[in-house]
Amino acid sequence: MKNQGGDLERTIHPLAAKYLRQERMPHMACPGCGIGQVVHSTLIACDELALTPENTVWVQGVGCSSRITYTLWKGDNIDAHHGRIFAVATGMKLSRPDLNFICFTGDGDCMSIGGNHFLHACRRNLDVTAIMFNNAIFGMTGGQVAPTTPMGAMTTTTPYGNIEDPMDSVQVAMAAGASYVARWRSTDFRQIVSSIKKGIQTKGFSFIEVLVQCPTQFGRYVLKTGDPIKILQWYKDHTVTLKKAEKMTPEELKDKMLIGEFAHRTDRTGVVERYWDMIKKIQRERA
Amino acid sequence: MLKQECSINKYFVQGDEAIAEGAIAAGCRYFAGYPITPASEISETIARRFPEVGGVAIQMEDELASIHSVGGASVAGMKAMTVSSGPGISLKLEGLGWGIKNELPYVVVDVQRAGPSNGVATRVGQGDLYTVKYGSAGGNNSIIAISPMNVQEAFDLTIECFNLSEIFRTPVFLLTDETVGHTRELLVIPDARELKIVPRRKPTVPPSEFLMYPLNTPGTIDYPYPNIGEGYGICVSPYTHTAKGYATTSEKDHDKMATHLVRKVTDHLDRLTRVQEEMLDDAEYGIIAYGCEARPAMEAMKKARAEGIKVGFLRPIIIWPFPDEPIYRMACKVKKILVPELNRDGQLSREVQRAAKGQAEVYHLGSGGVETHQPVHVYDELMRIIKGK
Repeated sequence: MKNQGGDLERTIHPLAAKYLRQERMPHMACPGCGIGQVVHSTLIACDELALTPENTVWVQGVGCSSRITYTLWKGDNIDAHHGRIFAVATGMKLSRPDLNFICFTGDGDCMSIGGNHFLHACRRNLDVTAIMFNNAIFGMTGGQVAPTTPMGAMTTTTPYGNIEDPMDSVQVAMAAGASYVARWRSTDFRQIVSSIKKGIQTKGFSFIEVLVQCPTQFGRYVLKTGDPIKILQWYKDHTVTLKKAEKMTPEELKDKMLIGEFAHRTDRTGVVERYWDMIKKIQRERA
Repeated sequence: MLKQECSINKYFVQGDEAIAEGAIAAGCRYFAGYPITPASEISETIARRFPEVGGVAIQMEDELASIHSVGGASVAGMKAMTVSSGPGISLKLEGLGWGIKNELPYVVVDVQRAGPSNGVATRVGQGDLYTVKYGSAGGNNSIIAISPMNVQEAFDLTIECFNLSEIFRTPVFLLTDETVGHTRELLVIPDARELKIVPRRKPTVPPSEFLMYPLNTPGTIDYPYPNIGEGYGICVSPYTHTAKGYATTSEKDHDKMATHLVRKVTDHLDRLTRVQEEMLDDAEYGIIAYGCEARPAMEAMKKARAEGIKVGFLRPIIIWPFPDEPIYRMACKVKKILVPELNRDGQLSREVQRAAKGQAEVYHLGSGGVETHQPVHVYDELMRIIKGK
């Protein structure tokens, strides 16, 4: 490969060539953004499970999570209104239970404007895989406070510091009944691949939260740095694995986000399976 | 099944139940709703009936989720429907924009009740005429709305809503009201073979040659709609799109999309003009009403005719797009037009006034709702305007 002057040749990652629309490249992520890393992990998971553009649909909401991933997938791309991703996915999955649905949402999309739909997708145990990019801020709209923004953080709409506590989406997902729940940092590459694979294979609602670095908004406004390495270091300092956390005191765990696999239930069916079972039963009885 | 009365295919049912049966007959197999009177009977009938016919009926967590899941089901190839009344329709309008922009075929039933806000639950109103047409923010829309006046029409026109939604690739409203929804009367369900049902059109060209949105030929209807999982790699989003469905911010692309969405309806008014006209040939005065208000209006006309007063009647059946042309023709014939309707802001009468283009004087007979006008109210008002008092 020549890579100098005006003689630049593009090399394409084999998985990008296999799964992504080349005419939509480059995508619109900012330099240093963590979303691309997770898209990479998703493609590996799709490849290892032999998913195809024909049997898998990518679903998006609104925000960085969704605008960056929309129309990348060679198969169907269904992008919902802000927060309505799981409502749209409910209609699609109930209608086409044979297809796989990978939903890309953000912390604003999922926990703020779409909070109610998220709760009920967990409760119904809707058989889709949700990947929530948590950049702890409203990135696309210019760095406003989110329900996931740390207490005290300066954002464009909390110029005197955030006075609200952040919401723990993993605890919400577990309480509401999701079958599979995990949280990782964008740098936990292998764990994310493994979680997405488990999520796709698990019957019921799978929720994988990834803490993604946002140099443009979260970095600049909250951490006062646009350097992705420094932001990743901040995430490293503010996260602790479930295993390590067992031996730590509540005082030590203050201001720490837990990462790991929180739930992996196989004992609970979901609305899609139950509905179609019910239809079969009623039709058998009436026949 | 519904309980049969009299003989085969005849039922004594509510308008709401007729809407549910109409949806089933039209091939609707996905329903999502949220409880709200006076539309709940539709949800209840469908919840009982859909599993029998292999359809999915789900009660969602809110009105927004209902319409968005119906959009999702439509994208997934289902004929789909959601229902509500005023306060719920306000919430559903967000999802409606997604449906309009992505040209999704589905049906929304609005069983109107007296508003604003929660108003009087389970009592009739006609305040949503503009809401269904202009409620979805951003304009550039292509809404079609059909309004039944009795139980039989509630069934027949629900099927028509589904058919038009497939032909025009757009959400279609059944704009009914509590009186029609809760009235019990005879419904005849014809044999399925006698019904005209429009199926989802599928592309005949391979995916590489297919464009999801016919933006290069604005106003195109009868255009195929491939669904997810069919190999066409469809792209559906809230953003202004190119013909392929890719998000765009170009003014030219945006105007192309907006033009297409509007012209889909305005280029095909010949297929979207449907009115009922009674005794207009020699009429000197006219009454225009829709939905539940049509029946007292027609009774008033008959009473006036019996007294030798030449009164005619017109009812918009397809109410959006508004039947400008037949109303203009009527206005050229008569001196005065009375418009009874169940709101005080004069929604229908304002549209009639616009369509009449000054050819006749237009009078609004309003009421806040709760009860329909009695024939005598319409008759008395008609006499008053005829006498010029």
